Amino acid sequence: MAEYFGTAVEDIFNTMEERFLSEGTLDVDVTIGYNISGEGGGNWKVTIKEGTLKVEDVDGEVTDCTAILNANAETFVGVTLGKLDAGEAFSSGNIKVDGDLTVLVAVLPKAFKPFKPVIKASAIVESVEERFRPEKAEGVDIKIGYDLSGDGGGQWTVVVKDQTCTLKEVLDDDCTVIMRMEAQVFVDLNQGKLDGGTAFSSGQVKVDGDIGAAGQSASLFEKYVAEGAAEEEGEELISLKCVPSINQRYATGPTMGKWFDGLKEKKFFASKCPQCGRTLVPPREICAQCRVRCNEFVEIGPDATVTLIDVVYYASPDPLTGKIRETPYTALFMVLDGVSRDESFAHDLNPKDIDRIKPGMKVRPVWAEKRTGSYKDLLYFEIAD
Amino acid sequence: MEISYEDKKDCKVMTGKMALPNHYFAGRLGSKFIIALRDENKILGVKCEKCDKVFVPPREYCERCMSKLDECWVELSNEGVITNYTVVNYNDKHLPRRAPYILALIKVDGADTPFPHIVEGIDVEDVEVGMKVKAVFAEETTNTIRDLDHFEPV
Repeated sequence: MAEYFGTAVEDIFNTMEERFLSEGTLDVDVTIGYNISGEGGGNWKVTIKEGTLKVEDVDGEVTDCTAILNANAETFVGVTLGKLDAGEAFSSGNIKVDGDLTVLVAVLPKAFKPFKPVIKASAIVESVEERFRPEKAEGVDIKIGYDLSGDGGGQWTVVVKDQTCTLKEVLDDDCTVIMRMEAQVFVDLNQGKLDGGTAFSSGQVKVDGDIGAAGQSASLFEKYVAEGAAEEEGEELISLKCVPSINQRYATGPTMGKWFDGLKEKKFFASKCPQCGRTLVPPREICAQCRVRCNEFVEIGPDATVTLIDVVYYASPDPLTGKIRETPYTALFMVLDGVSRDESFAHDLNPKDIDRIKPGMKVRPVWAEKRTGSYKDLLYFEIAD
Repeated sequence: MEISYEDKKDCKVMTGKMALPNHYFAGRLGSKFIIALRDENKILGVKCEKCDKVFVPPREYCERCMSKLDECWVELSNEGVITNYTVVNYNDKHLPRRAPYILALIKVDGADTPFPHIVEGIDVEDVEVGMKVKAVFAEETTNTIRDLDHFEPV
């Protein structure tokens, strides 16, 4: 199979399906023909219609499409990979488009993720002599066998002796160690997508012979870098992971203190505004609407009517412990019996009631057995049947 | 039922510990800002040409006209003035210094916005708004805003 810049024309069409962005083409209805000449070329017809994709390998020249692209294989691969300048290819006539050129410009970037060359296991193995680090191989005398199965696989022996490295395209019988795996696993290991320890312990890599030599072999070679990969070095980005543990000290004051004293007795207390008469839950020292002190307390609840339900599926940490909460959990907004309008109070719902809870339902508090006058005294609410 | 604010019988103190697993991403602009502190000991900001305002730390959009500012980098002075301050008077292990220490808002020369940082090298009694300070960079990086370790009086 003819390759240009390490990529065959076929690779580009074969990966279209996985690169396709359905949501970008919902209002698109086009067919694009490709007549790729030269070694490794061929004819393809790509139909993009309302978020669906069909790629056909056709015999003979493609005609009758919204747009037809004619190019030689090398130009087509080069432009797709960004190795050749598209504008230049057009102006020099290396790429010719029949039909609606704007289709290619407007639709293709929306329809496909950029093509990334497929890295082949053989390319990695075959570069082993170039990647060899003689300075690390002093006194090393080993033969490493690779038995890679599947697409792009093969059998090789890497001989390291007298600070030189030679590659043979056979698997020698007297290897110090032989590593057997799927070719794709080998590629992933070399790309850093898969951790060696994980691959080994999960059985994806089998090692015959001296396991120590397998470990040692890694340091003998430079890391494999795909052709062109070094050019696009990413910018450095910073992120920070930490678990700050912050000491909390909460002084209740007399008003919230009263609330917590109430919880100990399985009672809810609200403060009442002497001016507008509304109740405040949990109690507050000042009515924010009338801006007067609320010295009077009334007992409310303990049952309540649900007004709003938030079911939370996001696994967030409980700030009091740092532990990730069980999901889903529910924040329940409710009006306790006897309070004035609009004064909703929020607390947890018993997780077993999540499926049944609805606005307007009556709920009742569930109390801790041992109560000390703290927020821990009230466990959650549950549906009052 | 009445409550008396002189009566302390209901007053109580609750203690707890809040552990928050954080994963903070500095973002593209934030990363460049920290990297400049770390590698070049420089304070970078972004400038909105339209509003003639320089923002530090950098932000992607101008808060006034919403212009995109991610390419509008300017290098600022390592000196500036204290525009406001507070004295931290309690100790906790997540805090960057032992109490008492000065946490000030510092507007570096060339910037229009101040940002908070620690001021050292001066008694907490003597700090004043308008005082000239200069940046002192950390010797070891933490890849955070604390690669600029603190400010001290000029």
